[in-house]
Amino acid sequence: MSASLALDALTKTFDGADHAAVDAVSFSVAPGECLAILGPSGSGKSTVLRSIAGLDVPSSGRILVDGADVAGLAPERRGMAMVFQRPLLFPHLSVLDNVAFAATVAGQPRREARADATQFLELVQLAGFGSRPVTALSGGQEQRVALARALAARPRVLLLDEPFSALDPELRSDMHALLAAIRAQVAPTVVMVTHDRDEAAIVADRVALLKRGRLLQHDAVERLYTRPVSLDVSRLMGGRIELAGVVRDGAHVSAIGRVAAPEGETWAEGSGVLVVRQEAIQVAAAGASAPEGFVAVDVVVADRRARGPRAELALAISGAGSVVEAATDQATDALADASPAAELVAEVPASRPLAIGERATALIPRSACTVVAG
Amino acid sequence: MAMMIPYGQRVTPDPRTTRSRGLMRPRPVGRIVRIAVAALLALWFALPVVPLLIWSVANRWSFPATLPTEWGLDGLSQALAQGAVPAFGRSILLGLAVAAIATPLGALAARALTFGRVPAPRLVSAILLAPLALPAFVAVMGLTIVLLRARVPATLAVLLLLVAAALPYTVYTMRVAYAAHDIAFEEEARTLGASRAHVLARVHLPLVAPGLARAAFLAFLVGWSDYVVTVLVGGGSLVTLPLLVGSFAAGVGNDAVVAVLSVSAIVPPLLLLLALGRFGRRYAGGRLTGPTPSRSPKGSP
Repeated sequence: MSASLALDALTKTFDGADHAAVDAVSFSVAPGECLAILGPSGSGKSTVLRSIAGLDVPSSGRILVDGADVAGLAPERRGMAMVFQRPLLFPHLSVLDNVAFAATVAGQPRREARADATQFLELVQLAGFGSRPVTALSGGQEQRVALARALAARPRVLLLDEPFSALDPELRSDMHALLAAIRAQVAPTVVMVTHDRDEAAIVADRVALLKRGRLLQHDAVERLYTRPVSLDVSRLMGGRIELAGVVRDGAHVSAIGRVAAPEGETWAEGSGVLVVRQEAIQVAAAGASAPEGFVAVDVVVADRRARGPRAELALAISGAGSVVEAATDQATDALADASPAAELVAEVPASRPLAIGERATALIPRSACTVVAG
Repeated sequence: MAMMIPYGQRVTPDPRTTRSRGLMRPRPVGRIVRIAVAALLALWFALPVVPLLIWSVANRWSFPATLPTEWGLDGLSQALAQGAVPAFGRSILLGLAVAAIATPLGALAARALTFGRVPAPRLVSAILLAPLALPAFVAVMGLTIVLLRARVPATLAVLLLLVAAALPYTVYTMRVAYAAHDIAFEEEARTLGASRAHVLARVHLPLVAPGLARAAFLAFLVGWSDYVVTVLVGGGSLVTLPLLVGSFAAGVGNDAVVAVLSVSAIVPPLLLLLALGRFGRRYAGGRLTGPTPSRSPKGSP
């Protein structure tokens, strides 16, 4: 039932709009893979999904399912099933008949369609709910039924348009677990639109990050976090640390000193911004020496913000002076621009008594660093 | 005629809402006033029907007497003799025909207007609602000449004019229905493999059915209760129940037969209204389209 999906320079400009809502987006999804299309509001991610479903007609570009172009194919003949943010259960049908909808319109006898639907209700852990009216369901149950109804259509590609964003956090994580269980059982190809990068990270194998209709990066989830290809990607993924500097002889020189590229990677020479996830930064006692593979930076706690069980620290770089002496002239110029903002961010358990003004050492793992164009 | 029947949503909030919301909590004085006003309204509606009902089973009812001086079914037999049954049938057919044409037309116009596929939508809405503003007499006098010159058969001409008169009601009712209708249901159905025809039959029509029923009811009433158009354009060739009532009411001493005819004229709309109240609701409880295979969690169909 799973198919591969490929987008080739998909572009959609709405009537009267002066720029494209989706601008030459290309990516591919392997059979059984789950791709999350991630992006802020208005990034065109829903338009991409609606184009795949055939509900919007792209201005140009191709959509290939198992290598065949689906242009001009009506939505009902594409073999896609869509789950929207709202469950959209047909109110005139029972839960079971909602799930049996695809089989019924495909011409199956009612009895068989219902028997089939029963299996899918079991798959979403709602066995026994079939005879209920859809108005008797809770929000989470409604979305489960919507998912069962989509799966019962045996879609070649399952399309999810922010399906869980209207649910409360607990229900949402239940749904994530359910989706993982479904993927393990029936391995559908899934394309899911979300604005929540945590959700994308939990649910998806790969992520296509969109901004203003353009594809910024299509990559495995952890690479989006650790190896963003641009500052935009780093920022959209919630990256907080940006250190302007220069790459020279394979190492980046900035306010935190020389950082050599991780093994097997090379950074483009010239000016560049070093980005590293705040979650990767460890905070040690002042004067601690760097273990193998880490860069140690003397810092002063400049600010501390409560983040529930964790605390977010802004760390002013205090050892910058000594680094600058060692740096080249070019790097010094770059530093002169960057130094006022040169600051690290780290997260520590809320129980750590690091107060504002306290000195500490930030340990930055080299493997977590990457350099992007400024 | 009822101008608008609220669509879909419950008009009176349920008791839980009223109790929990301070502004909606009934006040004792307001309650007494409300009950009094409601009673007066009920009286105002019911009072004209009482003498009508009595007259329909009275042969003689002279002025000072409180009750008829002679009971009997002369009115009924006279009505039957004067062709009340065929007239009743013709009125039903006329009402149904008007509803059958004006309802789908109104629905199409309303859907196009609601989902924005109409150029100059305000102008189009205004034109569609215009028959309400125009006195029926004016329009009919003008159109009679046109239709007669065009040699349109009288019955067809009556039907055409009544459909035009019913359109404002069906368009308005269906616009309200489509405003509450979520097109995403239809998109969802398409992605699940339903063709356009399937979407229409299995999703679109069931979802707007209550609105269609209301629109059809109003259109039926236009045909059922019309007098002016049937008289002027039909020219007496199409004798409907209102025409019969009118001709008897114009004479003297026909109170009994007029009462019988009038009472019978109330029955079909009343039955339809009751049916509408029973079936025209919007899936409040949800219902099944047939027997479910199994109610037990583990049972297999």
